[in-house]
Amino acid sequence: MREIMYRDALREAIDEEMARNHEVFIIGEGIAERGGSYKVTEGLLAKYGAKRVRDTPIAEAGMIGVGVGAAIAGGRPIVEILYVDFAMLGMDMIVNQAAKFRLMTGGEGRVPFVMRSQGGTGGGVAAQHSQSLEALFYAIPGLRVVMPSTPADAKGLLKYSLRQQDPVIFLEHKHLYMTKGLVPDGEHIVEFGIGDIKREGKDVTMIAWSNMVPRTLEAAAALSKQGIEVEVIDPRTLVPLDKAMILKSVAKTKRVVIVQEAARRGGVASDIASIIQHDAFFDLDAPVEIVAGLDIPVPFNLALEKASVPQTDDIIAAALRTLHLPAHLQAAE
Amino acid sequence: MLETILVPQVGQDLTEAKIVALHVKLGDTVKRGDIVAEVESEKATFEVEAFANGVVTSLPYKVGDLATVLEPLVILESAGGAKPATGTNPKNDTASIQKQISSNEKISTKTPIVENAPSNGCVRSSPLARRIAQSHGLDIGRVVGTGPHRAVVVRDVEEAIAKSGGQALTVNAAQTSSPRLTIKTLKNGVGTPVMFLHGFGGEIAAWRQLVMAMTITNPMIAVDLPGHGASPMAAKSGFDGLVDEVAATLRSLGGEFHFVGHSLGAAIAVALSAQTGIVVKSLTLIAPAGLGATINGNFVSGFLSARSEAALAAQMRRLVHDFKNIPSSLVGATFAARQASTIVQTQGQIAESLFEGSTQLFSVRNELMNFKGPCRVILGRRDAIIPPAETELAVPAHAALHRVEAGHMPFLEEAALVSRLIAQSVRSGE
Repeated sequence: MREIMYRDALREAIDEEMARNHEVFIIGEGIAERGGSYKVTEGLLAKYGAKRVRDTPIAEAGMIGVGVGAAIAGGRPIVEILYVDFAMLGMDMIVNQAAKFRLMTGGEGRVPFVMRSQGGTGGGVAAQHSQSLEALFYAIPGLRVVMPSTPADAKGLLKYSLRQQDPVIFLEHKHLYMTKGLVPDGEHIVEFGIGDIKREGKDVTMIAWSNMVPRTLEAAAALSKQGIEVEVIDPRTLVPLDKAMILKSVAKTKRVVIVQEAARRGGVASDIASIIQHDAFFDLDAPVEIVAGLDIPVPFNLALEKASVPQTDDIIAAALRTLHLPAHLQAAE
Repeated sequence: MLETILVPQVGQDLTEAKIVALHVKLGDTVKRGDIVAEVESEKATFEVEAFANGVVTSLPYKVGDLATVLEPLVILESAGGAKPATGTNPKNDTASIQKQISSNEKISTKTPIVENAPSNGCVRSSPLARRIAQSHGLDIGRVVGTGPHRAVVVRDVEEAIAKSGGQALTVNAAQTSSPRLTIKTLKNGVGTPVMFLHGFGGEIAAWRQLVMAMTITNPMIAVDLPGHGASPMAAKSGFDGLVDEVAATLRSLGGEFHFVGHSLGAAIAVALSAQTGIVVKSLTLIAPAGLGATINGNFVSGFLSARSEAALAAQMRRLVHDFKNIPSSLVGATFAARQASTIVQTQGQIAESLFEGSTQLFSVRNELMNFKGPCRVILGRRDAIIPPAETELAVPAHAALHRVEAGHMPFLEEAALVSRLIAQSVRSGE
């Protein structure tokens, strides 16, 4: 085990897979000469050359089109989109081509296309550079949606993305690139659809992904001081989703808080809540709580930006509500 | 019957109240509306009103005692015969709580509140709390809620169960009355009992294999239908006569059950859902009669007219898809029962009133359409007695339909699967 940064773990995954499979290549804005805005691809140009590590113009529709086409033709593209907000320019290729091709060719054609991008708030980059858009991709059957929260998961999931056969939307978080964590030495692969229990507990299940995982763990630590043991589940991949892990945990704790940075309306949290209310209704001792971003464009002002997405105290308050503890009663009355 | 007047909930968060006056003594006759006692909280004194007429048979507290709220304060015996004082019938307890509320409302200037009883009469609770209360036979209306809007949450139920010594009110219905029909508890347990009704020509013992496969913890009870097993013939002939007789017996057991019925028993279970005094929590119908028009009349007459054990075995094999699934012990027991009694003649009469050749003379299609609770129909694809395709047409859209690889006895041939399906019905009915 080594302690490395999230961005380094991503670089290791790309490096290892490029070395292993010569079909793997990466394109994006400023990823070659500059090494990427978050330094994920630093050093790769020198190692693999300009054919496999290629800078592109600021033309997301073109980049995504190249990636989807290359994947259909048998390549292993990684398309880095600097902000997930700009993936919208390539949505037709993702939604109508990449996600549908396997079905519409009767399973003959596969699209091993990997789009890496990053989302979320952080440092006041305003409404067009701060969105959490996983729900858009989550809603499209045929796509895999991956949202790692730790360096180890980032590495293992990206390596798996580059070995499986379907289109992957790999969403990183701008706050996570500089966070550190232990990553196993040697080959480390994390398959899709297997959640991870980031903290074990018996009183409340919290489900969070991406940057909400560290924040939820903070809340869990604070609650632990009050004698409340929270189980924190990180699904790691939203599609496929590890329903079994979630339902098993709910059966144990009887209470659920789902935390997402994305806006509340139409979010993945709502869908997970609907699964829980249906499949675990008689296990629930309280309504499923969702802590989510506000239904507004993310504000530029730093204080307002902070107020628009879940903070540790919001998560703690939701947990207390599921436990029917006094904080809630005071808040309600 | 017994009516229990409870110690009122004298204020939020208060679990005890002081008895400051008792206006009745043992043997007194009270009328509805009489003030029977006064209890005191920290803030005020409340009068407790009788909600029913009756004779005082029990006064657990004396003046000066600290009483636990929602525990019995006065027990009255009213006309209608005795019942156990602990009140094992949850329905009555709910009723008395509701009456208690209304009597409290009359003196509401002093605002005693029965915590867990919104004015619309329904009890707020979490799904988990409700499930656990039900599985322990605990009336959730008796539990003081501490959740939001005074909902009963699981900690309240757990506390109530702990107070009552673990298993709040274990139901062992078979011991609580002396029904006309033969009743047997197949398995003890907690919660709403599951009542098994066998098919034509069958008896309680037919369920043995299935019950061994059952994993749910509810009590399981079976009845011998009139003219079957050890039960006498029904007073009235025909299908309605059977239903009336079974209904009367089941009412005496409290009337609230999950039903599992096979063939004729399934038709009776459906018919019971339309009977007053019977609460059907869920229906699991195995190869049900009474939905289509056809029955294999050749089997019915062959089964009844078989005189040797070999002939009986040959007929009974027609019940299953795989011959090995008819245990020889079942054939032997059926044969022995015939030797020792006039049961064949009795069942011949019943058959005459139910079937005409290969036609079923009764139908429960309407009753099934009107039953809105959880309903599951299990059909054997290879059923040679009642054509499954015809039955299927009468299964309403809201019922779950399962076709299994079996003959007329899926519960013998696919016991594990059928037991799981019953468990699902029971769970969705709770």
